[in-house]
Amino acid sequence: MIQPKSDPMELNTNESLSVVETLADDIENVAMEAGEKPFPDNAAVDEAAQTLLELSENDDEAFDEVDEEEKRRRKLLLLLLILLLFLCGFSALFCRYLQQPKPLPDMIIPQAEVHYPPHYLFSFYGMDRPVGVALSPQGDRIYVSETGGERLVRVFDRDGNEIDSIAPPRTRSGERSPVYLATDSDGRLFVTDRLQHAIYMYGSDGSYLDMILMPDLSLSSYVDQHIGGLLLGTTYSYNIFQDNVFYQAVDADEQILPGPRSLINWSPLGIHIDANNTMFVTDVVEDHNRTLEFSVPDEPILVSWQGVDLLKSDFGKSGQGKGEFLFPNAVATDSQGRVYVSDGNNGRISVWGEKREFLFNFGGGPADGALSLPRGIFIDQRDRLFVIDAVGQNVKVYDVSGSEPGFLYAFGDWGIDDGLFNYPNDIVVDESGRLYVIDRENNRVQVWSY
Amino acid sequence: MKKYLFVFVLVLVAMVSTVSLASANGGPHGGYSATTDACAGCHRAHTAPGPRLLLANSTYDLCVTCHGSAGAGANTNVDDGLYLSSRDDAPGGANGDVGATNTPDNAPLLGGGFVNYGLTAVSSTHNADGTTAAAWGNGVNRGVTANLAAGNLSCASCHDPHGSPNYRILKATINGNAVAVQQVDEGAAKDYDTEQWGTGMSSVCAACHSAYHVTTGGSGSDPVVAASGGYAHDIDMNYSYGGANVNPEAIGFGGYTLPLAETAPAFGRVVCSTCHMSHGTAAQMSGFAAGSYDPFGPGLGAGAIPSGDSALLRLDNRGVCEVCHQK
Repeated sequence: MIQPKSDPMELNTNESLSVVETLADDIENVAMEAGEKPFPDNAAVDEAAQTLLELSENDDEAFDEVDEEEKRRRKLLLLLLILLLFLCGFSALFCRYLQQPKPLPDMIIPQAEVHYPPHYLFSFYGMDRPVGVALSPQGDRIYVSETGGERLVRVFDRDGNEIDSIAPPRTRSGERSPVYLATDSDGRLFVTDRLQHAIYMYGSDGSYLDMILMPDLSLSSYVDQHIGGLLLGTTYSYNIFQDNVFYQAVDADEQILPGPRSLINWSPLGIHIDANNTMFVTDVVEDHNRTLEFSVPDEPILVSWQGVDLLKSDFGKSGQGKGEFLFPNAVATDSQGRVYVSDGNNGRISVWGEKREFLFNFGGGPADGALSLPRGIFIDQRDRLFVIDAVGQNVKVYDVSGSEPGFLYAFGDWGIDDGLFNYPNDIVVDESGRLYVIDRENNRVQVWSY
Repeated sequence: MKKYLFVFVLVLVAMVSTVSLASANGGPHGGYSATTDACAGCHRAHTAPGPRLLLANSTYDLCVTCHGSAGAGANTNVDDGLYLSSRDDAPGGANGDVGATNTPDNAPLLGGGFVNYGLTAVSSTHNADGTTAAAWGNGVNRGVTANLAAGNLSCASCHDPHGSPNYRILKATINGNAVAVQQVDEGAAKDYDTEQWGTGMSSVCAACHSAYHVTTGGSGSDPVVAASGGYAHDIDMNYSYGGANVNPEAIGFGGYTLPLAETAPAFGRVVCSTCHMSHGTAAQMSGFAAGSYDPFGPGLGAGAIPSGDSALLRLDNRGVCEVCHQK
């Protein structure tokens, strides 16, 4: 019995043909061995094989058509699925937009900007343990406060030549301690004094004008209230340690009033006046730290300094939490109207919004730009925030033009040579890109430039 | 029973672990966590310019960054010997706020000042600028100097900037000697212009000026005491007031008063700080008080006290004698 090696229906065309031919050969061989003629002729076998071959080819074509159809169907299904997902996503975005319709932001193409630190130019001396610095509006007068020696505010030109010095009237060196300074758009100079618990005001030429004794009281208005009208040209002075107010009208004898010491309830330290003549003052009374905001009036003599109209806000309190200060040292404002307060003993910068709501702190922790003891700060016209790190012995610079500050670089280190700091304390930058850095224990001001 | 014992031990450990050292609010003086950043405020591990890995070549420069006359980081201004600011500015003042301190604005610090005191330039100070090592009576006779074991004098010679259980973070060991100063009558509300120290205040001074710490009764006429450098006023003696003796703290003499160490309501104790200030004083010396012959000074017979040196005395000339003795 001849058995096929495989079931022909399970083989492909070529294999089937081969099997048929092999089978025919086997039959023919067996028949010849038996002496018989297996088929009338070979034509019948060939015809059968050909028929089988045709059948097989027809089956393959059928199978191919089914595969193509399946592939097309699958492709179509996949395409529909993608379209469905896209439709769902778009619908979700559209629904969200309908709930909070806001105009789409403009496409902002980031501009490549190279940030590089400034370089050291020169130093000028002639001061004893300086702590604060400010510039006249034109940048031609550099005011420096000193806490050693005579404790004066010394005035220098851009080359570092001393051109004047300023001291509060009727005070000895041990009775005053000028710390931070600021100038308004008219060039008037404001100086906080830590021992006198007051802010002294001087004209652009350094002449003494008035004192701010409390957030709601100037010396001129105090005299005005007590004598029932202050005549133009009257001079007045006050020393908290003697607690007497001296005043003298033109062509009249000097008079004395009892002082307001028992009323004084603040201790101004940091001071900043922005381009809109808004003045910020930090108050470091024990356990009542805060920042005050005033409007600076235009009058040359501030008899109109009646307090509440000028005091616009009072924000922050003592502590280590959010919106709290421990010895706030300085204030600066950026182009977005935000207020930056160097929160000295908390080792951070505190940022407040346009409505004086607390926004966030930065500079604490281990990240780049971390601060040890921030003191004087300044924001230039390019929204670069310069922070003096007094015990870090350097200046740290941040980009505050965006929603969040970005640390750029630090420059300086401890030392007594050129370009090195020995307890820096304050900084100011002029419009030409010159930086004036107070270098306290080296008794000098360092000038850097971009 | 074991369970209760275990709970008791746990509570005890928790209580002990919460006992913290003195610290300044927000400052670097203690209260550190395990991962504090405070160290980096004053030290650098590998590139410190000053000894003890300090970011300073002078400890004084570092301390006055906060405690200087700018008062940029503290209200205790040791340059001028002033407590700068509280809201409790004056008795009967409008603020009516005793706040966190019992010290009025611009009150003189008990320790005095290094630059000014009483708004006047000081006439004598402890040289805390790191340039002096010699101390009078430091393990030697009175009138003779010897160098401190730990080197030159600085703020950190007497104060522990990392916190201490002693009054005003005074160190527990000064010049190799143990120091224990009680802090009395003072809670969270600090009082910087009224003595709040108890017994033991003299141990701070005696750590370096041991020969002056004479505590023998009647030592002003005791030949045994005299052998170590002359007769000396008894230190740490109780001073009972009432009767013939007025209270030197509350009444004093001629408007001048002196602080006693707190001991009991009816008496106090005369300590070194009763007559001397630890930082510096502007007391003025004149006449007999303006320099005197010191037979035990350097060179035996040549040890004249510099003219005008006020020897850290609290009052002009010898006002410190008169407050109690009222001759």
